[in-house]
Amino acid sequence: MNLTNAQEGKEYIIRAIETDDEEMDAFLFSLGCYTGEPITVISHLKGGCVVSIKDGRYNIDHQLASAILI
Amino acid sequence: MRIALTGNPNSGKTTMYNALTGRNERIGNWAGVTVEKKESPIKKNFYGGAEELIAVDLPGAYSMSPFTSEESITSGYVKNEHPDAIINIVDATNLSRSLFFTTQLLELGIPMVVALNKSDINEKKGTKIDTEKLSSLLGCPVVATVSTSASGNGLTEVVRTAASLLGQHQQAPYHQGNISLNSKAEVEAADRKRFEFVNGIVAKVETRKVLTREKNTQDKIDDILTNKWLGIPIFAVVMFLVFDISQSTLGPAIADILVGWIEGFQGTVAGMVENSSPLLQALLVDGIIGGVGAVVGFLPLVMVMYFLISLLEDCGYMARVSVVLDPIFKKVGLSGKSVIPFVITTGCAIPGIMACRTIRNDRERKATAMLAPFMPCGAKLPVIALFAGVFFSNASWVGTLMYFAGILLIFLGALLVNKIAGYKNRKSFFIIELPEYKIPSLKRAFLSMCSRGWAYIVKAGTIILLCNTAVQIMQSFNWSFQLVEEGQESTSILASIASPFALLLIPLGFGAWQLAAAAVTGFIAKENVVGTLAVVYGITNFIDVDELVLVHGADQVAAVFGISTVAALAYLMFNLFTPPCFAAIGAMNSEIKDKKWLLGGICLQLGTGYTVAFLVYQIGTLLTTGSVGTGFVPGLIAVAAMVGIVIYLIKKTDASLAAEYALGAAAK
Amino acid sequence: MMDFILIAVILLIVAAAAGYVIKAKKSGAKCIGCPVEGGCCSHHQSHTGSCCHGCGGADSSRLKDK
Repeated sequence: MNLTNAQEGKEYIIRAIETDDEEMDAFLFSLGCYTGEPITVISHLKGGCVVSIKDGRYNIDHQLASAILI
Repeated sequence: MRIALTGNPNSGKTTMYNALTGRNERIGNWAGVTVEKKESPIKKNFYGGAEELIAVDLPGAYSMSPFTSEESITSGYVKNEHPDAIINIVDATNLSRSLFFTTQLLELGIPMVVALNKSDINEKKGTKIDTEKLSSLLGCPVVATVSTSASGNGLTEVVRTAASLLGQHQQAPYHQGNISLNSKAEVEAADRKRFEFVNGIVAKVETRKVLTREKNTQDKIDDILTNKWLGIPIFAVVMFLVFDISQSTLGPAIADILVGWIEGFQGTVAGMVENSSPLLQALLVDGIIGGVGAVVGFLPLVMVMYFLISLLEDCGYMARVSVVLDPIFKKVGLSGKSVIPFVITTGCAIPGIMACRTIRNDRERKATAMLAPFMPCGAKLPVIALFAGVFFSNASWVGTLMYFAGILLIFLGALLVNKIAGYKNRKSFFIIELPEYKIPSLKRAFLSMCSRGWAYIVKAGTIILLCNTAVQIMQSFNWSFQLVEEGQESTSILASIASPFALLLIPLGFGAWQLAAAAVTGFIAKENVVGTLAVVYGITNFIDVDELVLVHGADQVAAVFGISTVAALAYLMFNLFTPPCFAAIGAMNSEIKDKKWLLGGICLQLGTGYTVAFLVYQIGTLLTTGSVGTGFVPGLIAVAAMVGIVIYLIKKTDASLAAEYALGAAAK
Repeated sequence: MMDFILIAVILLIVAAAAGYVIKAKKSGAKCIGCPVEGGCCSHHQSHTGSCCHGCGGADSSRLKDK
C-alpha cells in the first residue's frame, strides 16, 4: 500500500519510492525519506497529506503520496 | 576573511545574517526565502578584532547535491570560492535531518562552527541536546544560538569561535570514501551510511520528550487552516483584513496627519514664491511638491500593508497558503510553489519574480514569472486607493476585489500559457516543509516596514520627482517652446505625445490625453500614475485633512477627471494589469532567460490589461446606461484580433503536438 | 530676483534627484531605493566574488544604524 491509504498517526516503514525522477528521489533522500526509514501521516487533506519524516513536517500532494510505498 | 552561513532551508540563516551585519534582508518563516548569495561586513561589536569579517548569506540547502538552482549557488560557493570559515546553522529541532548536510560540509576541510539555532523552541518542548558531546562527535565547536532574540543569543560566541579557527584544517568525523559519483547505487549506498552515522550521533546527544510524529496543537491549527472547505475562505478573510486595515481604516487615519503636513508645507512654499513668475511657481509648487506630495500622501497605507504582510510571512501561515492553493493551481498547470512568488509580489514584483527560482519545473517557473505581476504590488496601492476614494467613496471592497481579480487573471493566464506553450501531461510532485508557527516579531515587521517605507520615499523623491517635473514642463510648453495659453492645453508637448495613445484608449472609456499620459508614466513606476494625475489636473491634495476621508472633494476630483465611475474602474484595472514597471520587466527577463517567452509575457500582460478594461467599461456601461460605451466597434475589433491571434497560436501548438504524437506513434 | 532664486532652487532639487538616480544606476541598482535590490542585481552568477551592490557603500552604512 502507499501513503494515500495510510492510517493517521501510525508509523510506517517506507518500502519503496516509485519515481522515474531521479532528482526528486535524491531530494527526498536528503530529507531522510528513503526505503527503510519510518514515516508517519499526520493528517490527510484535500490535495495531499501532511507527513512527519525524521523531525520535520511536510505537506506532500497525492501524486507523491501514492509514489511512496509503505 | 569571509565566513559563509550555510544550513538547511528555514534554519534561520538570514535572521542570523541580519543580526550579525545589521542589514535588513528579507526573511520569512518558510523554506526558500533567500534565493541569492549576499555579503556584508559583520558588526565589530561581535568580535572586536581588527580584521574585517564578512558574512556571506547563502540560500538554504538540504545536501551538497543541488536540487534547485538556488541550492546549487550554495554548494558551488562552498566548494569553489573557498570561504575562510563556515558557520553551519543547524535547526536544533530537526537535528537528524540537518546533520546530514553538516557532515558533508565537514569533509570540505574548511574550519567550521555549528550554530545550534532555534534552541529556544527545543527548551520549550523539553528536548535536550548535549552540545559538548555533539562537538566532540563532530570534531568542531558547537554553540547553541537563538538568532531571533536580541541578547543572550550566542551570536558573539559563534563569531569569535569562527574567527579563532582561521587557517586551521577541519577534520571530518565521517568520510564518504572513494566511490564513483556516476553510479547511482554507490552514491545512494554511501548516503545511507552517512545517514546511519548521523542517526548514531543523534541517538547519543538528543533526548526528546515530545516525539515529532505525534499530533500536536500545531497540527490541529493546520487541520483548520488547510481544511478542505475552510482553507480558502480563511485565506480570503485574512487578505481582506490586510487590505481593509491598510487601505480603509488605519492607513488613511495616519495618512490624514501626514497630508496635513504636506499641505502646510506646500502652502508655506506657495506663500514664499508668490511674487515670482507663474511658470516657476507652478513648476515648484504644483509639479514638484504637489506631484511628489500626492504620492507620499499614500505612504502610510503602503507602510501599514507592508507591516501586516511582514507579520504574515513571519508567523508561518504562508506555507499553509501554498498547501491550500496547490490543488487549485494544479488544475492550471501551476503548483503551490507558485503561491509564494505571488504573495511576495503584493510587496514588490521584483523579489516576487525572483522567488520563482525555487520552482523546479521550467515551464511552470516561466509561467509564474510572467503571471506574478498580475498581483497588484505596493506601488499600485496608491493608484487603487486614489480611485477607490474618488469614485467609490473609499470602499474597501475595491482594493480587495483588485487582488482577487489579480488571482483570477493569474488562473486564466496560466490556462492560456498552457494552451499556447503546449501542456504536456507530466508528473509533478509537490512537497513543502511546514514550518512551526511562531509569534511574529513586531520589531522585525517594524524594521521591514521602515526600510520599505524609506525606499518609497526615496523613489518619490527621485524618479517620481523627475517624472513630475518633466510632465509639468511638457504640459506648460508647446512644440515651439512657448508657454501654453489657458484653454489651449491640448496644444502642449505632453498632450500631443499622449494623444495618439489616448486614441487607442477610447474604447476603454478613458480617451483623455491626461489619463493616457499618466498610464504611460506608470511604466516607469506605478506610483507615477498618481503623481502625473495630480500634475496634469492641477489637483494638489487627494487626501482631505479636515473630513478624515481619504480623498478630498471626491466629487470635484471625479468631475475634473471627466469620466464615469465605470470608466474609472476600467482605467484602474488597465493600470493594474498591463505590464508592470520597467524594473519588473527587467527582472522577468533575467528569470525567464528566453526572449520568446518574455515577449509572450509582455504581450499577454498588454492584451490582458486592454481586454479587461474594455470588458469592464463596455459591459459596465451597458448595465448602467443601457447602451454600449464609446468606441465599442473599434475596441471589439481590437479585442477580437487579439483573441484571433491567441486561437491561431493554440491551433498551431495543437497541430505541432499532434504531429509529435503521430511521429511517436509511427516510431513504434 | 525672486525668479533667479526659484530657478536655482528648482535646478538644485532636480539635479540632486537626477544625481541620486545616476549614482544608484551606476552602482547597479535596478530600481531606485529598493531595500531588497541587493538580491535583485546579481542574476548573473559570474558576479560571484564581487558584490554588485551595497557592500560597504553608502547604502549599507545607512541601514547599519538600525
